Amino acid sequence: MPKILVVDDEEHIRLLYSEELKEAGYEVITAENGYKLLERIEEEKPDLVILDIKMVDYNGLDLLQDIRNQFYDLPVILSTAYDTFKEDMKSIAADFYVVKSFDLTELKKKIAMALETRLPG
Amino acid sequence: MAFYEENPNSITGADIVVGIPSYNEVESVARTVEQIDKGLSEYFPDLKSVIINLDNHSSDGTREAFFSAPGKFPRIYLSTAPGVRGKGHNIRNFFEKAAQLSPRALAVVEADIKNISPFWIRNLVGPILKGAGYVCPLYIRHKYEATLTSLIIYPLLRSLYGRRVRQANVGDYAFSPQLLDTYLKPPVWNQGVDDFGIDIWMTNIALASRVPVVQAFMGARKVHRMMDPMAQFHVLFKEVVGAIFELMQVYHDYWVQVKWSKPTALSGTDIHETETPLPVDINISRLHERFTQGLEQYQGTLERVFGPMVITKIQEISSMDLQHFSFPAQTWATILFDAAAAFSRMSADEKSSLLDALLPLYLGRVLSFVKKTERMSVQQAEEYIENECMIFEENKPYIIKVWT
Repeated sequence: MPKILVVDDEEHIRLLYSEELKEAGYEVITAENGYKLLERIEEEKPDLVILDIKMVDYNGLDLLQDIRNQFYDLPVILSTAYDTFKEDMKSIAADFYVVKSFDLTELKKKIAMALETRLPG
Repeated sequence: MAFYEENPNSITGADIVVGIPSYNEVESVARTVEQIDKGLSEYFPDLKSVIINLDNHSSDGTREAFFSAPGKFPRIYLSTAPGVRGKGHNIRNFFEKAAQLSPRALAVVEADIKNISPFWIRNLVGPILKGAGYVCPLYIRHKYEATLTSLIIYPLLRSLYGRRVRQANVGDYAFSPQLLDTYLKPPVWNQGVDDFGIDIWMTNIALASRVPVVQAFMGARKVHRMMDPMAQFHVLFKEVVGAIFELMQVYHDYWVQVKWSKPTALSGTDIHETETPLPVDINISRLHERFTQGLEQYQGTLERVFGPMVITKIQEISSMDLQHFSFPAQTWATILFDAAAAFSRMSADEKSSLLDALLPLYLGRVLSFVKKTERMSVQQAEEYIENECMIFEENKPYIIKVWT
């Protein structure tokens, strides 16, 4: 069962994603901010990270850079309320992005694609 | 080996080796050397570095200007034999010399960049010293600059090799000694690689070698001393697209296994001031004219290469007037995939004719892209290209099918 780490400072989003993604057959763990995120990834070894861009005290795009530098091929999906983040060059290091919504169809589609992505070893 | 070598400091080893390919660059090479030297001094002061001029036996005093430029790091001059031209020859000399120096990082920087600055060296070399295999720069570009990259190179390489490298055909890059070993035993080396094909050859092999690729954000446009993008464009088009098609044959076993694509890591994101791209003028009437004339000229070749479905689509597109012109990405992906598959089964002459015939189709695609994006910002046009790349990725099973 693929393990997904949801990093978001809004509790209702963490709950929504957890519930829906567990129902879709994923194991879900959560973090409420970017504190010691790299250590958490190292320990928990998730197959994919869903990362909020704007968190109190943390910039998701900076966290994305750190993740990409340390875990080169770990899939990361940016989750955001607004799509203005695309103006920031750092966003190209994400596998995909989704605009936050109560309908998770798009998010589930992107998760499936990210986990299906295959490059020869 | 290089035809001629001058190594006044008898350098036998270095941590960082930077090569500058040139041919008659007396007006710009000294500034380039100075900026590279400053970059090495400022960002890698404790490492041993050497700057190598990779020359095509220039007759204008490039060699003298190279040696007399201010700077503290030692220099080596290598040249091809008189009359031997082409960046590929220079890069091959670079590989052979660099291998003797046992470096930790290698970089190539073009001689004629007017606005190169020291932090470009940091952005290129830094990621290699931290473990990357290949670094490709990311310059600020207008939506209509480098359309060959936006409409062929990026979607094709991304869908084939699964890595999103946006500007894969730039003339500056850095790489690791491990990748140097691969380059020293080239799977393909032909006349096109000796010339314009070398830059895409470098990136393509890096992608197929599965080394970690980093894109280095440079925060600036790249301004060449002399720039006429259309001069020799026909030759450039054929050599670049030809190099990609040739390497598809070599790396078939690799790319058939790739599904979807992944981003790269990014460096240089600490640059706070970035330039705005300058507008690029496009003459859409001229593009339309060259598209329709080209279709007429290469009708026979096109009918030999493409099936009736594609030919019907092309006819449909060519019947559209300028105002309503549209060349869908789906048709374009099919054309490129069919062309690549046909190319793999052709003689050298047939390959050349196919690439000739592909050029007007590409111009039609440029025209369609310009019309669709004329009211878009650079950012919106980028998103448009990203969506078109997804069409290529979704059609990956098609190229696998037609290739066999």
